[in-house]
Amino acid sequence: MSTIAPKRKRISRYHVRNKFYDFSCAIPALVFFAIFVYYPIVELFRYSLTDWNLMRDTYNYVGLKNYQWLFTSSVGWKRFSSSLTITLLYTIGEVSASCIFGILLALLFNRMSNSFKVMRTLVILPRYVTVSATTLVFLLMYNKEYGLINNVLRAMNLPAVSWLNSQDTALISVIIYSFWRSVGYAMMIYLSAIKGLSQDYFEAAALDGANGVQKFRYITLPLIAPTTLFLAVTSFLAAMKVYQTVEMLTGGGPYESTSVIVYWIYALAFRNYRVDRASAVGCVFFMILLICTILTMNISDRKVNYDA
Amino acid sequence: MAQTTMNNPPKEFNSARLRKKTGVFFQYLFAILLTAFFIFPLYWMLISSFKTTEELLLSKPTFWPKTFNFDSYPYIFNSFPMWRFIFNSFFMTVCTTSLQLIIGVMAAYAFSKGDFPGKDILFVLILGALMIPIQVTFIPTYIMVAHWGWINTYIGLILPEAVSAYFIFMLRQNFKAVDESYLDAGRVDGMGRIGIIVHVLVPMCKPAIVTVTVIALINGWNSYFWPKMVTTSNDYRTLSIALREISSAFAGLEIMNFNKIMAAAVISVIPVVFLFLLCQRYILTGFSKAAMK
Repeated sequence: MSTIAPKRKRISRYHVRNKFYDFSCAIPALVFFAIFVYYPIVELFRYSLTDWNLMRDTYNYVGLKNYQWLFTSSVGWKRFSSSLTITLLYTIGEVSASCIFGILLALLFNRMSNSFKVMRTLVILPRYVTVSATTLVFLLMYNKEYGLINNVLRAMNLPAVSWLNSQDTALISVIIYSFWRSVGYAMMIYLSAIKGLSQDYFEAAALDGANGVQKFRYITLPLIAPTTLFLAVTSFLAAMKVYQTVEMLTGGGPYESTSVIVYWIYALAFRNYRVDRASAVGCVFFMILLICTILTMNISDRKVNYDA
Repeated sequence: MAQTTMNNPPKEFNSARLRKKTGVFFQYLFAILLTAFFIFPLYWMLISSFKTTEELLLSKPTFWPKTFNFDSYPYIFNSFPMWRFIFNSFFMTVCTTSLQLIIGVMAAYAFSKGDFPGKDILFVLILGALMIPIQVTFIPTYIMVAHWGWINTYIGLILPEAVSAYFIFMLRQNFKAVDESYLDAGRVDGMGRIGIIVHVLVPMCKPAIVTVTVIALINGWNSYFWPKMVTTSNDYRTLSIALREISSAFAGLEIMNFNKIMAAAVISVIPVVFLFLLCQRYILTGFSKAAMK
């Protein structure tokens, strides 16, 4: 009895040390997330309770005054609701366009041959090319007087459009750019989903005399519903955070018609130096993202998959 | 009678084959047209950089330059510290990717094969970080980094992007799939933790590691949001940020100087396009995994 006890103790000490070494592998990552993710989010909430103007060194706590400004004052609410609407319009436009055209492109490009492989690669390439560079070439093509798009329109005797310089067309022009950039990715995701489908369903449908459209409508579309959901959710959350595209193409203008929410937060904090208000908007934006994430996680838990 | 029944089936077969052939023809036609449409902006970027200002402003645009004008490239290198921008982009990309790789592999090991109390809760914290993007936390992060005096420094540029939760998540999934017996074999051979990570886990998950590394390299080169926050001087600007500065340097006269702006854009795009074309195989396997989710 007395000989066993020390032995067991030595084993457990060995295990404790092992566990500590395992834990220490995770320490750098954990420390990083504590400093650069969790501490800032707490600080963001703290700033939103102050009256901190970046021009001053000192600040006081003012309770929920910034949230009051955001939700009840006419200026704050107007800017907040309009930037949220613009962000949602942009997001819904980009996500629905890339999902719909992603399926169509996937059907078109679904052929096993080297030439199609090369073409698919070229269609997804825009997603990986520096956004700063591709937005510049779109600025050139969108130009009202000398841009290629308007030159083509004029050659076809159509009226020229002031793409990025008009309140009516600026947002749609930004969406067209983002669509160009992201649809290839949607196509690739759909392609690998379509390739993974069992041929049995299609053979059974062919025996029943189904044509191509019917096969697509009643077999492919329902079976790739989980893929559509995955794609819609991930691209929705990514598109909500849009900033660079807007800054490069329109700078939030004209007349703030493309001032998406992140762009507004940035302008509030670093142009108007109102860190307090910017932080309040940031907290609300974070809550919106969080609610969207939790809601979509609940939906994807439900059964959307008909395949066993 | 007998002959017609003999002859009819091949006839039908032929028309079906013809229909199939025209179908394939139209599939090729539309695919080529759409590919041309998607690649066109990149072609236009390249071709515009070789045009003269006069040709750039023609009301009938030329799709192939009448005369190739290479002056835009030396002009861009002479007017802006391009080599500095290129070095900054390169340095930042290599540093963030290697840090993401080293820290990510270690964390992925701890959360897949490691054993310590609170492992699951701490992993939830890492997943939670995926839901708190820099677009939400940038104000406090900026103030913190400024307080440390890291504005316009490499450390300020690199450190806030040194760990990627996505990287850890992907590698953990792959490490988990490695059978425990391989690790035991490594232990029997006298390997420690580092030995097992370097000689067993990493080689066995090589495709996944290459995929995330390529994506990290491309994202690093293209990254814009954070570098824009921490750099105000050309000494530390990356190419991605500098492009905007270059185009606004021609404020008001942009349209006449778009050949020069496009030359700068082409320079910034070359490394990622090459990297993508070389490593597209790895990126595309990542896609099929995402779709299987």
